[in-house]
Amino acid sequence: MTPAWILDIFAAIMLVVAGISACRLLVTRPWAGQMPDADIDVAHILMGVAMAGMLATGLHTLPNSVWVVVFAVVTAWFAWRVAAEARSAGGAGALGAGHHVPHLIHGAAMIYMFVAVTGAAGSAAGAGMSDMGGMSGSMGTLRVPTIGFLFVLLMMGWAVLDLDQLSAAIWHSQPGERAPGISLPAGLRHRLAVAAGGGATLATAGTAPALPAAALAAPGVAADPVTDSVGAAESVAAASEPGTEVVADPAARFLTDERVVIGSRIAMSVTMALMLVLMI
Amino acid sequence: MVSDSPAVAGSRLLSAGHSATARQAVMPDARRRLQLVLAAIWLLDGVLQYQSFMFGRGFSQMLASVAPGNPAVIADPINWAAKIVGEHPVPTNAAFATIQLLIGLGIACRRTIRPALAASIGWAVAVWWFGEGLGGILNGGASPVNGAPGAVIIYALLAVLLWPVAADEESRQPAFVAARPVGATAARVLWLVLWSSLAYFAVTAANRTAQGLHDMVAGMAGGEPGWLGALNRGAAAVLAHDGLAASIVLAILLGVVAVGVFLPLPLSRAAVGLAIVLALLIWVVGQDFGTILAGGATDPNSGLLLAVLAAAYWPASAAARRSPDSTEVRA
Repeated sequence: MTPAWILDIFAAIMLVVAGISACRLLVTRPWAGQMPDADIDVAHILMGVAMAGMLATGLHTLPNSVWVVVFAVVTAWFAWRVAAEARSAGGAGALGAGHHVPHLIHGAAMIYMFVAVTGAAGSAAGAGMSDMGGMSGSMGTLRVPTIGFLFVLLMMGWAVLDLDQLSAAIWHSQPGERAPGISLPAGLRHRLAVAAGGGATLATAGTAPALPAAALAAPGVAADPVTDSVGAAESVAAASEPGTEVVADPAARFLTDERVVIGSRIAMSVTMALMLVLMI
Repeated sequence: MVSDSPAVAGSRLLSAGHSATARQAVMPDARRRLQLVLAAIWLLDGVLQYQSFMFGRGFSQMLASVAPGNPAVIADPINWAAKIVGEHPVPTNAAFATIQLLIGLGIACRRTIRPALAASIGWAVAVWWFGEGLGGILNGGASPVNGAPGAVIIYALLAVLLWPVAADEESRQPAFVAARPVGATAARVLWLVLWSSLAYFAVTAANRTAQGLHDMVAGMAGGEPGWLGALNRGAAAVLAHDGLAASIVLAILLGVVAVGVFLPLPLSRAAVGLAIVLALLIWVVGQDFGTILAGGATDPNSGLLLAVLAAAYWPASAAARRSPDSTEVRA
């Protein structure tokens, strides 16, 4: 059997991901202003807790049936977001550029895992999947494993794509290491500059954050919930122009660092793939 | 300057962070895409290595099972490695799984791609010997259908052929992706050696018997999902009692693939296309996706790797070679 301590490590990683998302929600207070991607953080909290419950021996969360309903809602929500994204981006061909697709896949995979599991976990109607003994004991298996395998391939694909995009951008953001042929949008460049602590003037903690008028007035920032994030990114990019200033709380900077945001998603993809493989 | 509330400012930065995942304008070029496929396969290997039975006696027994039939100089180290794994299954297997995960993540990360590819070469060669018994090429059991010459050695070959080259080399557009690091001639020779060896293995004594291929394919059905088992049984029925003819046809096709990359553009494309079709056919029907769906697999087997390798040999058109896309990202 897979040792419990290994599964506990992955469970701990999932709880860290959920905790980071929770902190991000607290720091950015979406209920007090615009924060179009709060849904992603909510989904990460739910998935992180649910996956930790599936992996860890002593962690009991919600009954399977409740999780199925929860992730059905999450998946439906991201399906709507993806559809809106596709419409605004000019069709299904643009889906790969959208940032809600992986969350849709994650949500669907969670439903599949809770619905398709059989054996120890599945036979205990209404029991949490943590009842499978942290997978290391009486481990459940998945019905229709072909679907599980397809999800594994998707998870692996998104994980490496995420890491590639993140590392390309970070690499690109550092002077003197520019790879030939790289062309990044100004917004992405600036976001990475902010993440790296350069390219913008940062005030000390506790200083009132400020953005230039041009940034706040940037079109699309609050108009469209789908393109909002890109619009906001570009508005932040505008703040990196000479003579402007971007101020951020250190905690917010850490929580919104791309390495943290995308790293969380990579960790979730890899852990979810691991769980699927263990249950195939 | 206009002041903003902490919540709004924070939310804007958060949006920026989340939207960084939007893949706009950072398009990997063909070689980078193949590197990412290789990374994903290493990641898959890593999570497969965490499966329950790997932490028991099953893994060491699997290692030991590839030793028989090999020369002592090859078999003895395999038995030694199997003994160590058998005595310490948890730490050794946890280390193996983690190494493979790290190799996959390392290849996916542009900063670490060179050390990760180098590590993948070393690791693949070690696993080819200690874990696959050199793919069975010395014990007479090798067949292109069952994974010869060993899936993991193709990882090493891919790592060499997808190696990032210096920036000045990037300006020269090669005939195909695999030609970038070693040159077109050397890459074609490597292709010739690999695919002609597959053609040879297809008609070795064990594989050209009347029921050889039938038994091999039919034996895959156990434990697989219904549709895949049915596919195995259907293919086995077609091959029943015609093992010799099927082996010869397969060897001829593999031979055509082997020499195809030396032919003019339209024919070389046809040959590489045939290689991809054959590789995927073997992967699905003959290897059952590496038996991942039946549980107990340690890798996706050779069919998928052969298809990825063939993609690295897909000939670029003359127009594409004259006008490289400057917007693509290379690593």
